[in-house]
Amino acid sequence: MAIIDQVSERFKEDADYICKRTKLGEVPATVMALGSLIDMPRTMLHIGLQTRQSVNPEQLADALAGGIGETLISPDADQLAAHLTAGRIIAAFEGSDIHISIAPAPKTLTRSIEAPLTENVLSGSVSAFNEDIDSNLGMLRKQVVSERLRALSYQVGSDQRKRISVIYLEHRVNRRLLDAIVRKIESRLELDVTSLQSLNGLLGLSKWSIVTRLNSTELPQQAASAMEKGKAVILVDRYPFAFIVPSLLWDMFDVENDRNYPISLMYSIRLLRIIGVLVNFIFPGLYVALVSVNPDVLRIEMALSVAASRIDVPYPAFVETLILLIILELILEASVRLPKSIGPTITMVGGIILGQAVVSAKLVSNLLIIILAATTIASFTVAGFQNAISIRVFKYIILILSAVFGVFGLLSGLVIVCGYLASVTSFGIPYLHMARARDDAHG
Amino acid sequence: MYPSNVIEALDSGHWIAVMTGYLVHLAVIAAYMYGLEAFKGQNLIQICLNSGKLIAAALLLPTAAYLTIAAITTVRAYSEIITLVFLSNTPLWSIMLLLVAIAGYLASLGLEAIFRTGVMLAVLFIPPLLFIVCTSFKNVDWHYLLPLADRESATLSFVAKRPFLESLFAFAGGFLFLGFVQPALAYKRKRVLQASMLLVPMFLLSVYVPLLTFGRQTASRFQFPYIMAIDTIDMRWIMFERINLFFLLSVVTFVTLFLSLLLWKVSRIVSLNKLDGKLSKFRVPAVAVLAGAIFIVCLQIPDWERVSELMWWNTYLRLYIIVVIPAAVLVLGIRRRRKVGLHGMER
Repeated sequence: MAIIDQVSERFKEDADYICKRTKLGEVPATVMALGSLIDMPRTMLHIGLQTRQSVNPEQLADALAGGIGETLISPDADQLAAHLTAGRIIAAFEGSDIHISIAPAPKTLTRSIEAPLTENVLSGSVSAFNEDIDSNLGMLRKQVVSERLRALSYQVGSDQRKRISVIYLEHRVNRRLLDAIVRKIESRLELDVTSLQSLNGLLGLSKWSIVTRLNSTELPQQAASAMEKGKAVILVDRYPFAFIVPSLLWDMFDVENDRNYPISLMYSIRLLRIIGVLVNFIFPGLYVALVSVNPDVLRIEMALSVAASRIDVPYPAFVETLILLIILELILEASVRLPKSIGPTITMVGGIILGQAVVSAKLVSNLLIIILAATTIASFTVAGFQNAISIRVFKYIILILSAVFGVFGLLSGLVIVCGYLASVTSFGIPYLHMARARDDAHG
Repeated sequence: MYPSNVIEALDSGHWIAVMTGYLVHLAVIAAYMYGLEAFKGQNLIQICLNSGKLIAAALLLPTAAYLTIAAITTVRAYSEIITLVFLSNTPLWSIMLLLVAIAGYLASLGLEAIFRTGVMLAVLFIPPLLFIVCTSFKNVDWHYLLPLADRESATLSFVAKRPFLESLFAFAGGFLFLGFVQPALAYKRKRVLQASMLLVPMFLLSVYVPLLTFGRQTASRFQFPYIMAIDTIDMRWIMFERINLFFLLSVVTFVTLFLSLLLWKVSRIVSLNKLDGKLSKFRVPAVAVLAGAIFIVCLQIPDWERVSELMWWNTYLRLYIIVVIPAAVLVLGIRRRRKVGLHGMER
């Protein structure tokens, strides 16, 4: 048949393309599939169970239509190829225009539900999202058992088709936000979504923004609490994250799992995170400012001990700080890439030997090592890996300004950072919005 | 600068000067807001433009001039202060450049961003400021409080003299922006008036702490009495030697915010509100050009004497603005209320 030959021609170089003549029920048929996506024996068993009585293609179509089959009348080769790449089985019959696209028993190509990789949970549910969008949606439905949970689904992309879901609680969501998101997606359905940058492009958000506008999380309970607050959750197929729109400043400090502790502990831990962010911004700049530009600000005893720790260091405080910060960033980046077997060894080399040796060689002062270690640790007290990277970038701006202008530069850097954060908006909701996201932003 | 003006204005009874200034401020704000409320959803520029070219020129031109000169004096004065107090080795132009650049950046972000930045800065810097204000009471001698008033202050004869008029600068810059925020943001009249009451303790403190610490004769010799008062505090348990540094710098961050608001207002007036929609990509260059012009003018001012002169000239403009603009807005508002009726129906 012409269509079957056309489709086989398309896939003739693919080793996993299956096209064979078989009998479904009593009807001779040609069955086409991509073998890497389906489990053939179980599929044939299921089809056989459903179609035992059928003697002609129409009966077959009827038998399957109510369950796992979808009837296509006079499809073209493009449509059939799309169904095949989506992982379905096509049954074609001689002398008949009817083609049936059947949902097969799929191969397990996704890992099972495991603990999250980038977030740690101390007292709360540990199941994390995985790559399959349907299991993610299922996990969300299990987490929020509500008949008001709505899940809109889109197929985006022209080169690579991806499924995207927008999920929200219809009685809570900020309507303006939802309309803006839906409008943006529906007007750009041909854009390929292969990474977070392209997802930002699809939603019309700037790719250059230093702070992330999409708060990503691996935990269903985090996504559920965001939906309660009126935000929308976006799931992308093959991404083990849920993207919460819009991302706010408070999301750096507010983790849903905090609510599993008593309230006073929850507030203390959040205060600790805020202190962590401030430490991360201020300490390197403060050290450079107090050592090189404004030494008269410190009490005389402290100034002397700081100066004593810097004896024999051959270059100014700013260069010293910058060198050590870059080394720390290199260590952090390398530890992400290292295979699990070498990782601990190299971390020990970097941490202990570099730290100890660099002080003994009098290349940096040991006070600076303490400060920068505190800074680096503090930068990871915030929730969300993307947020940690953002604040790491901001501290360099403050560092450079305080190296030139001293404490005045430090505070000016803080003003600039505050100004930048104040100007970021996503879909009209500002980054610094504190009230429930469902009300209009009125400054 | 405000405390030194007030202390210079009177021999005693300074609280009368502070309260007089505050009452002027209150009257001005109340009249201004009452007039503005009649024009729902329009800002000052639109009101002036709609009322005819003559009125617009009479109101907007002096305002733009006043705001620009205020920006110039603020930048120059505070850079001088910063250089004096702690950054003696940094050239003046670089400090001015930083101030103007940050204010320009904030102004280019728009009004909402400026307000949100204000809230964030308040959260970050008000605790240290409050702490320093509380500790500034350490060295006061309460006997300097007396006498409470004398003939000069009781008869309000100080009002016409130069130091008091100059001290009004602290109040004048604050109210104009209320006319610019519509239609973007909504505010309640009562809230603004209540918030302005917070000004009273702050102004009283800024005048009385140096008075109580040094006495009137000594305090009137200082250019910046409050900073000198903080300088005298010696706290052993903080690792910093001079906490007036942090006080000053916290103040400077708010001054930067104020500057950005000034720049934004001037850019709105100069562009006559037309930079919306298609022309909105000219907003950032407009602010940048303005900031650059202010910076260049500041470079030309050689020393503090000139700054004082400039502030005195600005005082004439300021008096005009304090009196004329609220009165004009009030009159226009009353006229409009009569024409249009309270519920917007044409009569």
